[in-house]
Amino acid sequence: MKILVVEDETKTGDYLRKGLVEAGFVVDLARDGVEGLHLGESGDYDLAILDVMLPKLDGWQVLASLRRTKRELPVLFLTARNQVDDRVKGLELGADDYLVKPFAFAELLARVRTLLRRTSGRSMQAELIRVADLELDLRRRRVTRAGQRIDLTAKEFALLELLLRRRGEVLPRSLIASQIWDMNFDSDTNVIEVAIRRLRAKMDDSFGFKLIRTVRGMGYVLNDDPE
Amino acid sequence: MRAHFKSIVYRLTLLFALISTVVLLMLGALIGKAIEQHFVEQDVEWMNSKLQLARTLLEKVQSPADLAALVTQLNYSLIGHQNLALLIRGPDDQTLFATAGIDFPAALLVRGAIRNPPQPLVWQQGSGAHAQPLRGIAALLPTGVAGGTPVLVAVAIDITHHARFMASFKRSLWQVVAVAAALAGLLGWLAVRRELAPLQAMGMAAAGVTASHLDYRLAVDAVPAELEALATALNGMLARLEDSFQRLKDFSTDLAHELRTPISNLMTETQVALSRARSPDEYRDVLASNTEEYERLARMIGEMLFIAEADNGLIVPSREPVDLANEVRELFDFFDALAEEKALHLSVTGDGQVSGDKLMLRRALANLLSNAIRHTPVNGRIRVHIGRAGNSTTLLVENSGEPIPPEHLSRIFDRFYRADPSRHGSGEGAGLGLAITRSIILAHGGEIAVRSGDAGVCFEIRLG
Repeated sequence: MKILVVEDETKTGDYLRKGLVEAGFVVDLARDGVEGLHLGESGDYDLAILDVMLPKLDGWQVLASLRRTKRELPVLFLTARNQVDDRVKGLELGADDYLVKPFAFAELLARVRTLLRRTSGRSMQAELIRVADLELDLRRRRVTRAGQRIDLTAKEFALLELLLRRRGEVLPRSLIASQIWDMNFDSDTNVIEVAIRRLRAKMDDSFGFKLIRTVRGMGYVLNDDPE
Repeated sequence: MRAHFKSIVYRLTLLFALISTVVLLMLGALIGKAIEQHFVEQDVEWMNSKLQLARTLLEKVQSPADLAALVTQLNYSLIGHQNLALLIRGPDDQTLFATAGIDFPAALLVRGAIRNPPQPLVWQQGSGAHAQPLRGIAALLPTGVAGGTPVLVAVAIDITHHARFMASFKRSLWQVVAVAAALAGLLGWLAVRRELAPLQAMGMAAAGVTASHLDYRLAVDAVPAELEALATALNGMLARLEDSFQRLKDFSTDLAHELRTPISNLMTETQVALSRARSPDEYRDVLASNTEEYERLARMIGEMLFIAEADNGLIVPSREPVDLANEVRELFDFFDALAEEKALHLSVTGDGQVSGDKLMLRRALANLLSNAIRHTPVNGRIRVHIGRAGNSTTLLVENSGEPIPPEHLSRIFDRFYRADPSRHGSGEGAGLGLAITRSIILAHGGEIAVRSGDAGVCFEIRLG
């Protein structure tokens, strides 16, 4: 998976590249709009991350030009401002998603993966997900672990399904709130912590091997490899 | 000149002078007219009495010879008066007698024009410095001769002293008017200045009000009754400004404090970690802990920006139909785990649809509900009721628990305001939730209020 990052702020650009490379992506970094557009038009990328405020050509112009030649390229743009205008303008120009600075890297990573999954159309339509000794029967909405039946509420089931489908990925709280409850804003409550704790109590606590791990400061991940 | 006309003092001074001039002139004209009338009546009466004497004498005349004798007699009896002039014309219109040096005007002597009672006529005898004003009357008096033509007798008196009196009266009148106008203007000027002094004082006081003197208030008792409303209004304005300023000051202070605490934590933690070599796990711990602080800071900054933009009208909510009961139920679902932890009972009654930004309204309601959940004691209840009041839709969020003291109620929507200062830094958000809710509701043109009683706390939202 190849990602183009266009970001003029030196530190941000470097860390985005480092983080994405370490997450397993191939990353090209452009420092201004002209370079970004040139790379975007000549290279074969699976996704582009665009900053709005760029020297030479701003993010909007790059986005508009890219859309003319690369209709399919998913674009996530980064904005320092929280204004509706920016959001609307970006989405009108054909951006697929946006993030307001400052953002958590885990959030960016999760969104990048969501976009890539959406466009590659590789959504897992399996009827049964099996990780280690956990089994999720999507058709019958049943969960078993080590052969033992586990009763989950609808939301707990959805939460577990999300963690399973994106196993190995650290899922930030905001992403979980958005995907499970459709709450697309930062909440200052610990709802997600409590929900995860209750889910764990049912499917993790009484078993020797813990599937759900907390990554401090980032979110939650479901791992099937015991560390 | 325009500047003068804008001055109240100038205009009122002019007005007073003008009024006194007009009033005095009218009064003077009236008095002058009355005096003149009185003089005419006096003159005419006197001249009539002379004519009456002539009539009595003429009635005794039996023949033209008698007439000639009578003229002489009349001359003696009438001309003794220095100011009196006499003209007698006989039946055939020949002048029988005329006082020397006096020319009666022909208009007075036309027999056909003579009326009864006789009409006085004024004319000038001579010209220049020796001109002499005269008033005269004429009458046709019958003689004792049977069937004889009446004799024309005209009498005139010198009215020089009357004319002099009137001239002097007019002169005095003009002088009095001039002095009175000046006096009225001056007194008016003084009075208006005096009466406007409180206004000037208010202006001076207002000029002295700066951000650090917003506690200044005008003395309402000391101003005239007409200015009381103005003074009260200005005081109200000052009070509101002072309150807003205080909030802004508190906000800046709180903001600095809110930023200082996490940054100081970050600095200390990082510096301690760097002070000696540590295991990777220890470093990981420090970084993770730092990340948590960063996230809080980032969220706080994002929320503050949101509030600032909403307050400055930069955030314009989209308009779509939003089913409030449905939103509340979805939020209950979201908060379900939290509520269950505290064994809270959540309920929603009523129904209502508003037009607004779904995402923003959901955020506003989420903050209200999370606030309610946080402050409701274990086993408590939170009730949401949606209804209508007039043209607007209302949404009430009631929760059981400790009432909020009134001094906190008024500031509960302020940024960073926490009713309980000990909650500071307890990881429960920055105290911006209710401020965001308020900003969102206001951006939708709605209202939000809070009240507190023994049974608990109730937030009320009204949306158009």
